[in-house]
Amino acid sequence: MCDHGMTVMASPEIAIRASGIVKNFGHLEALRGATLEVHAGEILALVGDNGAGKSTLANVICGALAPDGGDLTLWGEPVEVHSIAHAYELGVGVVYQDLSLALDLSVADNLFLGREPEGQGWRRWLGILNRDRMRNEARAALGVLGIRLRSLDVPVRNLSGGQRQALAVARAMMWAKRVVIMDEPTAALGPKQSGIVFDTIRKAADDGLAVLVISHDIPQMLTVAHRIAVMRHGRVVVEVDAASVKLADVIGVMLGEEVAG
Amino acid sequence: MNSEEPLDLARLTEASIRAEETPQPEILEGRLAKARRSTALWIGLAIVAIAVVFGLITPSHSFVKPENLLAIGLNASVIMLLGVGMTFLIGAGHLDLSIGYSLILASVIGAKTMVALGGTPEQVQTGAYANLALAITAGVIAAIASGMAIGLLNGLLVTRLRLSSFIVTLATSGIAFGLALILTSAANIPYIPNELQDNFGGAKFERLIPYPLLLALAVGGVFWAMLRKTRFGMRTLAIGSSRDAAARAGIDVNRHTLKLFVLMGALVGVAAIVDISRNANTNVSGHQTDNLQAIAAVVIGGTSLFGGVASIGGTLLGTLIPVMLANGLVQMAVPPFYQYALVGVILILAVYFDQRRRERSS
Repeated sequence: MCDHGMTVMASPEIAIRASGIVKNFGHLEALRGATLEVHAGEILALVGDNGAGKSTLANVICGALAPDGGDLTLWGEPVEVHSIAHAYELGVGVVYQDLSLALDLSVADNLFLGREPEGQGWRRWLGILNRDRMRNEARAALGVLGIRLRSLDVPVRNLSGGQRQALAVARAMMWAKRVVIMDEPTAALGPKQSGIVFDTIRKAADDGLAVLVISHDIPQMLTVAHRIAVMRHGRVVVEVDAASVKLADVIGVMLGEEVAG
Repeated sequence: MNSEEPLDLARLTEASIRAEETPQPEILEGRLAKARRSTALWIGLAIVAIAVVFGLITPSHSFVKPENLLAIGLNASVIMLLGVGMTFLIGAGHLDLSIGYSLILASVIGAKTMVALGGTPEQVQTGAYANLALAITAGVIAAIASGMAIGLLNGLLVTRLRLSSFIVTLATSGIAFGLALILTSAANIPYIPNELQDNFGGAKFERLIPYPLLLALAVGGVFWAMLRKTRFGMRTLAIGSSRDAAARAGIDVNRHTLKLFVLMGALVGVAAIVDISRNANTNVSGHQTDNLQAIAAVVIGGTSLFGGVASIGGTLLGTLIPVMLANGLVQMAVPPFYQYALVGVILILAVYFDQRRRERSS
């Protein structure tokens, strides 16, 4: 972290700053010096072809993967987010592409897994869960997203794909204090539910959170996001204002001429 | 699904995200819970059926006499203790095959400690321990520590070397058994204090309930609460359900897994003390099928070998089935060896049903 002074103080408004991130999986170079900034109150859409490195970059930022090189600052604070727990402490909420839900656990348990509220006094000492509080807060968090479930005690296995995805979004929103990262948050959702999710994302950004959305739905991203970052071959090749760019241009950059560099 | 109005009870039964163009399938409400309930029901019925059949065919219906039923409970107590720990491990997606031989090692170390600290060799041999309380306390601690040490070894090998718990615990059973035989030259350890048998292993609370059974049920109760009510239990099932999801929720999966193996080891140590208290002797040549019986009890009880779903109550009930079979067969003057074959058959059936259930629900 030798460039500490330079990167940190660039602007307090920069919520996520990833510079020169490198990540290899064996011989596969998933990230070759990816650089990205997301500002507070901004929705940045990360687009790119399959294998461009979008999910890998998101996983590095949220601490799920340790990068092989590069620097990361969150809200001006240089971090080596090598643990997901650390990223949570920094206020990062994540929707993973595979949703990362424990299918045998209940809806409420999934929302709180890893950050379970405990009772008071001896209950706390024994690690006894405060399930009433979990249920109440879970109901409220799901309600915001328009999710109505008959019971919060049913295992997630019994939920439909769309319900599971909405649950993962609700969990990320519940814990995100400063940064939200969403990897294909609406892939399994119908248009109406997608609309609710995007409204929620906009509201989060209005509240000052930085939002990083990975999506294949580029037309949708052009209307939702403030800026679009295009990845190709493990690098961010272009960052543009969503308002001033055309779909065809984005796709052109995404697919890229082979001379890209 | 034209549901713009707020929360409405009738609507809730249909229960879903309110998506217009892609209606979500109705929630398969409580199906898993029902399946689990029916598992408990199924074991309960099996137990009643076994009791009725043996009650009818044993000479003078001796099988269903209260003292015999309590004797069955007593005989099940060691496997109950092991099964309780195994429920947590299997619930987290692991397995421990080493428990039987680890139990032998723990009982040998516990017994040796008692004999060594009891007093002069003469005192110990005549059963007049000079330092009875010290000897028993130290022996109990040593047995539990021995079990925990094997558990720690299992846990470290599984989490640090990322080996399958199946192979690791198969290997450590050999290590534990070998150590036990080396320590004893394959002979049992005599002169364990009689007080252990008189006041605990062979004694009954209110002249009715055998203390080992009482202990096993109390431990079962504590672990039931732990599984259902605590953060530890919830995280155990989360890991069994999806290791990745648990890790991404910020849980230190390796650390938790290590704790589970050590906990299993502690219960092995307790079971070892119960074992030597009941028999006033070690049983170096026994316990070969303890792992089979404990795993069978757990799976029969509705805990899923796939992890994520576990039931302590089911395990405690599941433990009874093999013991009832053995008890009934002995009373019918049938060699008790049939019991082992029967347990094997029952285990295969239980695993098959577990798999069917999983396939249906996904």
